[in-house]
Amino acid sequence: MERFVDEALVLSTMDYGEADRLVTLLTREHGKLTAFAAGARKSKRRFAGALEPFMRLRVQIVETRGSTVRLDSVDIAAGYYTARQDLALIARALYAVELCRELTRDHEPHPELFALLAEYLARLDAKEAGPTSLLAFELSALAHAGLMPRFDACALCGGEPGERPRFDQSHGGAVCEPCCGRARDAVAIPPALLSGLRALQEGHRTPLPPELRARARGLLNVFISHHLGRRLKSVDFMAQVGLD
Amino acid sequence: MTPDPLNRLVAQLAKLPGIGEKTAQRLAFHILRAPGEYAVELSQAIREVKEKVHLCARCYSLTDSELCGFCRDARREEKVLCVVETFADLMALERTREYRGRYHVLHGVLSPLEGVGPEQLRIKELLERLNDGKVEEIILATNPDVEGEATALYLTRLLKPLGLRVSRIAQGLPMGGDLEYADQATLAKALSARREL
Repeated sequence: MERFVDEALVLSTMDYGEADRLVTLLTREHGKLTAFAAGARKSKRRFAGALEPFMRLRVQIVETRGSTVRLDSVDIAAGYYTARQDLALIARALYAVELCRELTRDHEPHPELFALLAEYLARLDAKEAGPTSLLAFELSALAHAGLMPRFDACALCGGEPGERPRFDQSHGGAVCEPCCGRARDAVAIPPALLSGLRALQEGHRTPLPPELRARARGLLNVFISHHLGRRLKSVDFMAQVGLD
Repeated sequence: MTPDPLNRLVAQLAKLPGIGEKTAQRLAFHILRAPGEYAVELSQAIREVKEKVHLCARCYSLTDSELCGFCRDARREEKVLCVVETFADLMALERTREYRGRYHVLHGVLSPLEGVGPEQLRIKELLERLNDGKVEEIILATNPDVEGEATALYLTRLLKPLGLRVSRIAQGLPMGGDLEYADQATLAKALSARREL
């Protein structure tokens, strides 16, 4: 059984049996892994405080015969403790880790996604990432997963989206007025929203006004739910506690 | 061939947390060998706990009457209210013999990744309780993990505008602990929450 060391971000944890825990990790080199942490809930020393969502760790892992690996030891590389003291930052961090968990498959390396998430969490911790940055993070994460929605041209004909654009999640982005007959689920969106999302995709970080941000959040929720086949749970949490 | 009633008892006992097949068998044989009254009392106690124990109408801890012992006890301070996740946490705080105020049990914590929001907890009931104006301080004693912190921060957002003093239980090194053997997360928290002397 091979043993290896990697960097990892904790995506989620689940109690298992009496004292153990199953930890979903996004590792830099080995992709998403489900790791069995024996005695994690009882041991005060081995994993204490480290197996929490959005912790950045240095992990020592042992491969097993099945798809689940064994977590041997951990060392906290970054705890993002500042972010853990602010409800809005916690909500955004948990949304980001849930999105990454759902966009990836076990044992498929995504070093760019790991770097993207680590960088986003560091910016959250430094209080440099507002609600618009979360939208930018989502667009980048979707791009890494091969699900980049198209905002620069009509997803059906490739032409200009025009003055009265629509958005259709099943066709993967903006749809121009002449093509909207072929996209039955398409909804009308303001051109300013389209240009705002396009600017975020291109790397601009100009904050969107709250009403455009709310529309963008709605669009991305629908788009992500459509492609994942389910709504992310942390989206509902953000709505319930009035955060974006 | 083992008799069916014994098999059924072993199967039921093995469903208890921390009890495996062998321990279940040992417990079943113990019950079998014990005097008849013991089995009657055990089964009666199990039935009664299901029939009589319910949530306290005020603090949502466990009780067999309308209000629990903590809410009925007139010697306890009315001004201080400690908010905990579970009844087990309440019992842990009681064991300190340091706290003499009242309690409120949330029955869970906010868990964004599990889809648990404020509506699934006893938060509305907590706010209703505060309407009588007797409480002056709220101690948030949720666990020091990401969900416990999120719950404490959310409650602070609700409670501060009501003009209440809101405090959070301290986090850091355990009493009698050894700095050398403390884990990174606890030590980091202890450092950031250091106090001036």
